[in-house]
Amino acid sequence: MLEMKNISKYYNPGTVNEMCLFEDFNLKIEEGEFLSIVGSNGSGKTSLLNIICGSIPLEDGQIYVNGKNISKEKEYKRNQMIGRVYQNPSLGTCPNMTILENMSLADNKGKIYGLSRGTNKARTPYYQELLQQLSLGLEDKLNTKVGALSGGQRQAMALLMATMSPIEFLILDEHTAALDPKTAELIMELTDKIVREKKLTTIMVTHNLRYAIEYGNRLIMMHQGEVVLDKKGKEKEEESIENLLDKFNAISIECGN
Amino acid sequence: MSFLISILEQGLIYGILGLGVYITYKILDFPDLTVDGSFPLGAAVTALLITKGVNPFVTLPIAFLVGMCAGAVTGLIHVKAKVRDLLSGIIMMTALWSVNLYIAGTSNVPLFSQNSIFKGNALVEALPKGIKPYATLLIIFVIAAVSKVLLDLYLKTKSGLLLRGVGDNDVLVTSLAKDQGNVKILGLAISNGLVALAGCIFAQEERLFEISMGTGSMVIGLASVIIGTSLLKKLTFIKATLAVFAGSIIYKACVAVALAKFDPKAKNFITAILFLVVLVLSMDRKAKVKKNA
Amino acid sequence: MKKRFVAGLLGVALVAGLAVGCQKQETKEEGKESYEIGISQFAEHGSLDNCREGFLAGLKKEGIVEGENLTVQYKNGQADMGVVSQISDGFVSGKVDMVCAIATPSAQSAYNAAMDTDIPVVYTAVTDPVAAELSDADGNGVGEVTGTSDQLPVKEQLEMIREILPKAKTIGIMYTTSEANSVAAIEEYKELAPEFDFEIKEVGVNNTSEVALATETLLTGIDCVSNLTDNTVVASLPGILDKANAKNIPVFGSEIEQVKIGCLAAQGIDYIALGEQTGVMAAKILKGEEKASGIPFETISEPGFYVNLEVSKNLDIKISNELMDTAVESFESIEVK
Repeated sequence: MLEMKNISKYYNPGTVNEMCLFEDFNLKIEEGEFLSIVGSNGSGKTSLLNIICGSIPLEDGQIYVNGKNISKEKEYKRNQMIGRVYQNPSLGTCPNMTILENMSLADNKGKIYGLSRGTNKARTPYYQELLQQLSLGLEDKLNTKVGALSGGQRQAMALLMATMSPIEFLILDEHTAALDPKTAELIMELTDKIVREKKLTTIMVTHNLRYAIEYGNRLIMMHQGEVVLDKKGKEKEEESIENLLDKFNAISIECGN
Repeated sequence: MSFLISILEQGLIYGILGLGVYITYKILDFPDLTVDGSFPLGAAVTALLITKGVNPFVTLPIAFLVGMCAGAVTGLIHVKAKVRDLLSGIIMMTALWSVNLYIAGTSNVPLFSQNSIFKGNALVEALPKGIKPYATLLIIFVIAAVSKVLLDLYLKTKSGLLLRGVGDNDVLVTSLAKDQGNVKILGLAISNGLVALAGCIFAQEERLFEISMGTGSMVIGLASVIIGTSLLKKLTFIKATLAVFAGSIIYKACVAVALAKFDPKAKNFITAILFLVVLVLSMDRKAKVKKNA
Repeated sequence: MKKRFVAGLLGVALVAGLAVGCQKQETKEEGKESYEIGISQFAEHGSLDNCREGFLAGLKKEGIVEGENLTVQYKNGQADMGVVSQISDGFVSGKVDMVCAIATPSAQSAYNAAMDTDIPVVYTAVTDPVAAELSDADGNGVGEVTGTSDQLPVKEQLEMIREILPKAKTIGIMYTTSEANSVAAIEEYKELAPEFDFEIKEVGVNNTSEVALATETLLTGIDCVSNLTDNTVVASLPGILDKANAKNIPVFGSEIEQVKIGCLAAQGIDYIALGEQTGVMAAKILKGEEKASGIPFETISEPGFYVNLEVSKNLDIKISNELMDTAVESFESIEVK
């Protein structure tokens, strides 16, 4: 369970350009929830993810994970229980390292990176099995550098790598936005499969309203640092794209764009 | 023949320094100027220890460790005090100048009358007569080879993979729940350890510590890395670490020829031209990198 | 593609240069009366250039003339130890008849390279050959190596300052922490100063950029400045002289060139003379009259007194007639470079 309490976040605090993004923001995400977040640009979706992960500091407020306050914990420490996939496929993999090396790195998350052999031969069949379910033929290219792969292939690998080790939360930051529609579909299906299999609590930011409707069991819409729509369970299943779009247009017009 | 041997000796010693620069420049993408200070640091420590009667072979690991400390401090300045990479190196290089003077006691310490890894020890004495004239080259070669193999092995360990990861994509390293700052500090430490090791060997080969001996060594290391990895990039079976040694030897050969053939004043000009040629030759690679990013 | 072609062309040109470079420059002339020497100079520097000039003049005096029976390979290390080392190795592998090394690091490197061969090394401008381990405490070379020292005549210098400035108390000296010669000279100054009732104020710098600031520190609370042969400081001497003149503080030099450009006076060295003395030694060794190991290193036998009269007039300091009589050379005006 993840709980954000009285969160305040300003950009450029103390300067004339000070901009308030969140003020007294609260959000509670239950264990096993697959939450989709939609909203216009600048509504605070990505900032929300960054705050959860600790990539940006907080002005005020607390974040609790299973009752434990983690707001003071450093980003890399929080990442122990978080897997994150970014919009940019190159952020989830090391381009100058081979597929095997990348998988090995991810496989070792949470353990000590010591002086033992970096790539374990005994684990190779397991990696191949994981890669096989992507149906991208990567299982035969273990010694290819990841930089030589396409964006979709890299994103698929990033998703695998983020969920390889035992984590509690999966954070998806518009992770299909940079992909072509077909690959995006494939990545989305894969995401759903992994989330179901590993029973991960998932937070997905997306601009694709259809994905937000089709996947997950809770949906929120954000606007100017506030939640303007929050549907879960049955309510969410009844939600439609048209309805969402109307709501979207309504708040956008308020803003004048 | 002895001309060639001299080039090989120098090339191999500076090749070890090149390995260090390879870690910072190529793997970590960190322009580390500490090198200009840690090279003479290794030499200063060696001069101090040898004049105190310490076994010359023992100075090798000690110089490496002291160099590691220097690199770690550069890393701490960069990571903890959040000083920019180039400036952290400059700060450390400046500080090391004084540190080196304190360690060595004076700016020029001759070691002519002392034993070294090349002279007056059981190992050299035990060599067969025919090999003795090449003893120095042989010993340098062995140390260089061991350094290279150990570095290759290290880069394949889990820790080594993580180090390569930081240079490649530091976001991923954070995602793996590892503090990328600590990994950077480790990388800088290993790099400067190698540089100090090169300084240690150079001091014993020249039988001299001279405070100004580090000036420009960063450039030589950089030249070795760029020449080696650019010229030999097509030969995929050659590892980057081996290419660094090749680059270093090519560089030293060019300097030797520039010295033999041209006006001494022109030496740096020739070096600059060499640099330019190699950089232009490797231009297409850079363009590719940009596209991938 | 075009770029690569041009680069390739440049590369080929360089390789061609390499190939040509590898050929030996000149084949030795027939006959035993012809010599080939290598001169390894540490850096570009006026005093060191004077040494080289004097050295060749000294050889000439003994009948060994460049172009006639002498081939000279001159290399400059550009103050880079790696290059200096390669120069030494180049000379040794080229089997020259002698290496002449100018300044301490060059001398040490040349000796190191030639140690296991029979090529003699003759050095000059090495301040302390004993500390540099080129000579034992008795002045004999540690191998086939000998030469001349440019050790400053500190005692004579202090004596002269006392005579010119009877009331002076504190002498300021600026030096570079990295120059062993300067550090050694400072030690000697400090040791001898009490004898003449002086105090020494030393100001150390690390490089040229620090000289300007250090000058201000140097010029407070002192009565006069004494200048060493420190490469960095000498290079910035005109600036130091300007500031000292503005405060009416006399600056004493350590060699003839410094007096020429505006130091009041010096009990100092003439580097051309030093080079000449070295050249004469070298000639003996080349001709086989002596072995390098058989000649102890030499210092300038008598320091010369040099004085600049325009400076003395400007500062209103009178130089006694007795002292004037000992002057090797006096300058009527300040030479502007």
